[in-house]
Amino acid sequence: MTAAGTGTTASARQAAEWSTERVIRSNLRAVMGRAYPRVIGLTREPSWLFFEIFLPFLAVSAFVFVYRALEAPEEYIGFVVIGGAMAAFWLNVVWMMAAQFYWEKDQGNLELYFTAPMHLMSVLAGMAIGGLVMTSSRALAVIAIGSILYGVSFDIQQPWLLAGVFLLTMIPLYGLGMLFASLFLLWGREAFHLAQLLQEPIYFLGGVNFPIGAIGPLAGLVVATLPLAVGLDAMRQLVFAGSDVAGVLPVAAEIAILAVMAVVFLVGARLALGYLETLARREGRLTLRWQ
Amino acid sequence: MAVTSLAPGIPRSTLGDAWRTFRTAVRLGWAIQSNWSDPFLFAVYTIIKPLAAAMILVVMFWVVTGGRGTAFLQFLIVGSALWNVVLGVVAGMVQSILEDRERYRMMKYVVVTPSSLFAFLLGRSAARVLVALIAVALTLVVGVVFLGVRLQPDLVLFIPATILGLLAVNAIGLFMAGWCLQLRQEAWSYPEAIAGALYLVSGAIFPIDVLPSILHPIAFAMPTTWWLEASRRGLLGHGSPGVLGDLGDGQVLVYLAITTAIAVLLALAAFGWFMRRARRAGLLDMTTGS
Repeated sequence: MTAAGTGTTASARQAAEWSTERVIRSNLRAVMGRAYPRVIGLTREPSWLFFEIFLPFLAVSAFVFVYRALEAPEEYIGFVVIGGAMAAFWLNVVWMMAAQFYWEKDQGNLELYFTAPMHLMSVLAGMAIGGLVMTSSRALAVIAIGSILYGVSFDIQQPWLLAGVFLLTMIPLYGLGMLFASLFLLWGREAFHLAQLLQEPIYFLGGVNFPIGAIGPLAGLVVATLPLAVGLDAMRQLVFAGSDVAGVLPVAAEIAILAVMAVVFLVGARLALGYLETLARREGRLTLRWQ
Repeated sequence: MAVTSLAPGIPRSTLGDAWRTFRTAVRLGWAIQSNWSDPFLFAVYTIIKPLAAAMILVVMFWVVTGGRGTAFLQFLIVGSALWNVVLGVVAGMVQSILEDRERYRMMKYVVVTPSSLFAFLLGRSAARVLVALIAVALTLVVGVVFLGVRLQPDLVLFIPATILGLLAVNAIGLFMAGWCLQLRQEAWSYPEAIAGALYLVSGAIFPIDVLPSILHPIAFAMPTTWWLEASRRGLLGHGSPGVLGDLGDGQVLVYLAITTAIAVLLALAAFGWFMRRARRAGLLDMTTGS
């Protein structure tokens, strides 16, 4: 091995001593490297785009028709469209964040991650950024097609606040995905079932297709623990400002909850990853396929 | 490598061979479906997922109606419960064939042995069908016990509807399995896409009258539409609101029988053609990396 920039051979200890700048640069490259396939995949694999848009659109349409059959007020149709768009992010968190390390292990990539000179949080951050970009296209398409086809009219009085709430929601949402990535790896074979469990039950608890307040006292607990639910509730209040349907809490309170969640989930993810790394190095078992 | 025919001298499989293949495939399918996981967690997963799917619809109903008009709630619960079968069968068959080709890479070995691929495929997906049937039963029990669904079973209608419905759904699954063998990318997403599209046009959770009129002919052509309608009548004693509800029970059964017969014939012919093409083109041991 050669010392960076000198071309001379260094001792193993010298080669391992990196400057802070080099560590940061290397980790930023890892972030970009892991985000790259997800972003570029949008253009390289058009069939992804079709399924990414078509599948959630089918689900949204079915719920829209249920509300039509029930002759529900028009804002409920809008709730379903916004819920469908946000559910796309949740699916991305579950399948492409939480379950990703498990799959990387199956493909043999995980041991490379552990041995590469970068922090695993950089890999997770790259997955999150790439996933966010990829899923935004899907979410925007669902909102656009749903709005045009089903005539949803939005009443957005504070667009900047709405954008801020959306971005703030993404931090704890993907932070939770990062935390789950470590936990799913620890839970091994159960990961697939857990990912399945995190769909319909979370759509129900998160009020993806109805105002969260409809689930009664449980709504308070959900808003305090599930970033999808609290973010969705805040965004619905901002997107349908004139609607009669009230949120569980005022938007300001929900922003504070999201900020706390962001810190808790990111710190939790960092701790879980540290534990996982120790376990992987000590037992050498977590990186083995088919475990 | 293309596998085109049996070597000379190798006898074709008998009914006994097919039964043995089916039994083995059922055991294998169950182990894979449960992922050798903790039985408690698997039971929870089996129970919670379909119940949550039904509860979403129940809350949507309550939030709009305040609990009035239970006929529509019953329509929702039965449709939501029965749809688990479609998901189980279609996803079961497609994922079985893709898993055995792509992940476990056993498809070519199954094909070159004298065992019946058809029996193997049915057995491999049987575990998912069993899980789906448990989900149907649980959703109906919760509907009856907690949500006021009143079942008035009419077995004369329900039993033939179930037999024909299962035949139709298996035919759709078989067609999809053969089709997905031909695909190079994204084959895993097809069952979800097709099941989602069928969900929309079959009136699973809303009367088909609500659909845009351009989709009505497609809805009427689907055996799943008639199966759901006949099953609702067989379980609840009354049909769907709207145009389907105006038809007589006999008419619904006849339409179900006709559409099922067409679906089964088309599926068998298509599956045979798909398999021949897969053998010729060497698709049985192809891995797409998807």
